[in-house]
Amino acid sequence: MKAVFISYNQAYHEEIMEIMHNCGLKGYTYWDVTKGRGSFTGEPHLGDHAWPTLNGSLLIMAQDNLVPEFKKRLKALDSVSEAMGLRYFTWTIDED
Amino acid sequence: MSLYESAVKKPITTALIFVAVAIFGIFSLINIPIDLIPEIETNSIMVMTSYAGASASDIENNVTKPLENVLNSCEDLKHITSQSKENISIITLEFEFGIDIDVATNDVRDKLDMVESALPDDVGNPIIFKFGADDIPIIMLSVTAEESTPGLYKILDDKVANPLARVKGVGAVSVAGAAKRELKVYCDPHKLEAYNLSIEQISQIIGMENRNIPGGNIDVGSNTYALRVQKEFADASEMLNLVVGYHNGSTVYLKDVARVEDGLEERAQETFSNLKKGGMIIIQKQAGSNSVEISEKVKEKLPEIQESLPSDVKLGVIVDTSDNIIRTMNSLKETIAITFILVVFVVYAFLGRWRATFIIALTIPISLLASLMYLFATGSSLNIISMSSLSIAIGMVVDDAIVVLENITTHIERGSRPKQAAIHATNEVAISVVASTLTMLAVFMPMTMISGLSGVLFRQLGWIVSIIMIVSTVAALSLIPMLCSQLLRLNPTMGKFQKLFFVPINKGLDALDRGYGKLLGWAVHHRRSVIMLGLAVFFGAIFILGPMLKTEFFPAQDNGRISISVKLPIGTRQDITRDLALELAEKFMKKYPEITRCNVTEGAADTDNTFASMSTNGTHIMSFNIALTDMEERERGLLEICDMMRADLAEYPIIRTFQVTAGGQSGGMGGQSTVDVEIYGYDFAATDKVANDLTRIMKSYEGINEVVVSRDEYTPEYQVDFDREKLAINGLNTSTAAQFLRNRINGALASYYREDGEEYDITVRYAPEFRQSVEDIENILVYNNMGKGIRIRDLGEVKEILTPPTIERKDRERLVTVKVVCPKDKALSDVVALVNKEMKAMEIPSDIAWQLGGTYEDQQESFGDLITLMLLVVILVFIVMAAQFESLTYPFVIMFSIPFAVVGVLMGLVFTGTPMGIMAMVGLLMLLGIVVKNGIVLIDYTILCRERGMGILLSVVTAGKSRLRPVLMTTLTTVLGMVPMAIGTGTGSEMWRSMGLTVAWGLAVSTLITLVIVPTLYAVFAGNGVKNNRKKLAKRFAV
Repeated sequence: MKAVFISYNQAYHEEIMEIMHNCGLKGYTYWDVTKGRGSFTGEPHLGDHAWPTLNGSLLIMAQDNLVPEFKKRLKALDSVSEAMGLRYFTWTIDED
Repeated sequence: MSLYESAVKKPITTALIFVAVAIFGIFSLINIPIDLIPEIETNSIMVMTSYAGASASDIENNVTKPLENVLNSCEDLKHITSQSKENISIITLEFEFGIDIDVATNDVRDKLDMVESALPDDVGNPIIFKFGADDIPIIMLSVTAEESTPGLYKILDDKVANPLARVKGVGAVSVAGAAKRELKVYCDPHKLEAYNLSIEQISQIIGMENRNIPGGNIDVGSNTYALRVQKEFADASEMLNLVVGYHNGSTVYLKDVARVEDGLEERAQETFSNLKKGGMIIIQKQAGSNSVEISEKVKEKLPEIQESLPSDVKLGVIVDTSDNIIRTMNSLKETIAITFILVVFVVYAFLGRWRATFIIALTIPISLLASLMYLFATGSSLNIISMSSLSIAIGMVVDDAIVVLENITTHIERGSRPKQAAIHATNEVAISVVASTLTMLAVFMPMTMISGLSGVLFRQLGWIVSIIMIVSTVAALSLIPMLCSQLLRLNPTMGKFQKLFFVPINKGLDALDRGYGKLLGWAVHHRRSVIMLGLAVFFGAIFILGPMLKTEFFPAQDNGRISISVKLPIGTRQDITRDLALELAEKFMKKYPEITRCNVTEGAADTDNTFASMSTNGTHIMSFNIALTDMEERERGLLEICDMMRADLAEYPIIRTFQVTAGGQSGGMGGQSTVDVEIYGYDFAATDKVANDLTRIMKSYEGINEVVVSRDEYTPEYQVDFDREKLAINGLNTSTAAQFLRNRINGALASYYREDGEEYDITVRYAPEFRQSVEDIENILVYNNMGKGIRIRDLGEVKEILTPPTIERKDRERLVTVKVVCPKDKALSDVVALVNKEMKAMEIPSDIAWQLGGTYEDQQESFGDLITLMLLVVILVFIVMAAQFESLTYPFVIMFSIPFAVVGVLMGLVFTGTPMGIMAMVGLLMLLGIVVKNGIVLIDYTILCRERGMGILLSVVTAGKSRLRPVLMTTLTTVLGMVPMAIGTGTGSEMWRSMGLTVAWGLAVSTLITLVIVPTLYAVFAGNGVKNNRKKLAKRFAV
């Protein structure tokens, strides 16, 4: 099993849900409002006067075989408009 | 879920809600009545009290003074003026605008009840009149006739006045200028004397003979018959054979001592229409009804009425107030349409996308229609104020929509999906959109609360713009994001035309951005010079342009109507007046081809003519009613023609005074301004001298031809002074003797002649040739109870004396008013300055006081109200901005754009030679809210840049470059939105021209200066803030 954490501009939410659905991923944990900034590029998403945009975050536990396709699609989505902001991170987890 | 989120997610609901608003708006539009100005409730009450036989000064002391003293304590009373003349006292109470006149009337009635017992016994009950705008005639028809002239009155009364009076909403219909038929028995006094007859006897005999008397019923055989005596005259000539007495055994017939004329009454008003004799029909409306509606109905009826008239009687329209209203409304509609097109064009030029332009343009009709619902709901009318409010608002409603749409576009361009972009982008700007609307509300809401005349007028403006702003903000936060989510696409392809059009525009704008960036860069590094330059511009404008500014109250409106009242010396015979009237009419018609109809009325009016008896009339007075062609069709303006006519009239030495009134009514809204110099003092001679001196001096100024003194001259009249002793010896008393005199000169009403259901007076009197001199009067025989005739010369003497004129008072002091009409090339303030100068130079006795009233007083009052309002608005705007920025410094910086708006207004008014009036003041008031919006946008973004970590100077330049386009775009929409108003030439455009001019110039100049000075000032203040913080920190952590 793998854990996928996605932090993205709120505006991406519906598209990401669609991608999940298409990739056969069903379960998730969703925070509709999260704030943060990246380490290298992109604008902060802080929801304040200076940086009004906000993030949403998803934590998904997925079968190993489904993850590569999901990641590929996310990357494609991000590359369409990089300024929007979308980052994902995966790590292996134990399943009891 | 927020407003915009639900709107985007439920597009159908959102769309339909706005469709519903639009439908209600259209429904309202169809049903709203049209009028020229908002309904102003009358604010004056007239109290008329008669006291038969009392002279003017008796009336003043015994009636007017006690009444004034009591009435003066009425609540909200502004002025109390009175006229005391022979037999009657007229007191006019002028209340503050906007009071409930019914309450005031009750108050007045209570006060009158209180004082009644203190008045002399013979004083009649005081009568209360409410006189308001509703009493002004709405239509005047001219009538010309050839053969039908003798019977014209009856024809007009039957066939025109009566059918028109049945039209719903029509109040009184009066026929003027057509004399009534009268059967006149003209006696020869010598023959009467020879046959020992008197007027009274003849009058009595005629009365006795002209009778139909039922004699009861009589049974004859099996039938019952009615018995009647039917001896009413069937023809006037029948009278000639009446037996009036016997002399030396032979019968004396009426024809032996008199002649009978079946003609028109002797003293009547005569009306000439385009030099043809005819009449005039005056139509007044019922209080509260709509003039345009009534006049349409009346005009619908006219062709039908015309058909029923004899072929030589022609009806024409001299004055139709609705005409002007409709034309004014049409020119306003045109203005609104042009404004709409201009604004849409600007939006398209900046955005370069059809869809985006369409979305923004859509907010305009929706907001405007929503405000119409308010008008409908409150029962108001579409008028100059409400329509120009709509025109003003067009340029401002798009601002919010532009901000939202621009941000959504940015998000879409960054790759967001339209639906998401719409929600999030709207979320980002929602607060600043609401804040900028709040600053506008801070300007327009207080407008709904001002008092006085300007309050009555601008309440609608305040409400309409406030409602439009609120609706447009709601639309910007719901409809706009919804439409954007549905219609906007990422990087739409550009058509050929668009490319041709946009590439240059975009290049130009880019260059402008760069240029502005450079300018800002220089400015923030040369802060001191920029600020000094700004101060120099401001003070330069104030001290150089300020003194050149002229002021006025309301601009005079060109509605193509002129009314002229000409007074010859009192007592001038009607023939002379008539000749001069015709001469003048002919001269005017020849000299001014613009005249379409010239109607002149002269002579004393009959007492049963409602309209004429309200205005002054007499054999020496003539009044013209002139209609000109449409304003667009002629080169000379109304005021120019009026000034020329004044010069023409001034050439006639026989004319004592004349008043040429442009627009048909003076003062107030739309009329020509006048400066009323009120000279207070008890002594007639002393005040007359001051008034006459002033009149002479003012007339010596070039251009000033019309100066009117309110006090009439002493009226010459003949008085028969009976000697009571002589009367008593002859067994007579004053009343009897006076009655004899009256019957011979004025005539005795003997009976009524009946024909076709109408009654005509039969009057008996001396033939005109026997009442032409003082001797004729002295020779009149007065018979006593013994039947003995005594001549008047044996009973007293006939003296020529002068009666004093009407005593006028204002605020319980005697006064005389000198009214100076401002000519076309002089503004109110010019004439006020002249009058002030001359009055100060004049030697005035110490017990005479003077002050300026009339238009000037109204202007000062309204200016005072508006200046108070401006202070209030400035404070409110500051509060709104301080709340938005949570700072006291930034709003202060932004407010520096206001002085430069004043500079712009000064430049605009002085360069175009427009005087500052109420409309311009309102324009300035609106500017207070509009100009700070640019500052808010700039400073807001600068703060954003600083929060994002840039330094002060860099932030200022970056923000300036990035916000230049939105600032220019919203400014251009507002300025161009005002341009059609500022340069309009249609009917009624004088009214709103100065407002458009003020806003356009003020905003344009202020924006140009604000773009440099506000960022520079920000840099100064922010820099100081940073330095202070550092110092504080250094102190606190100093070791």
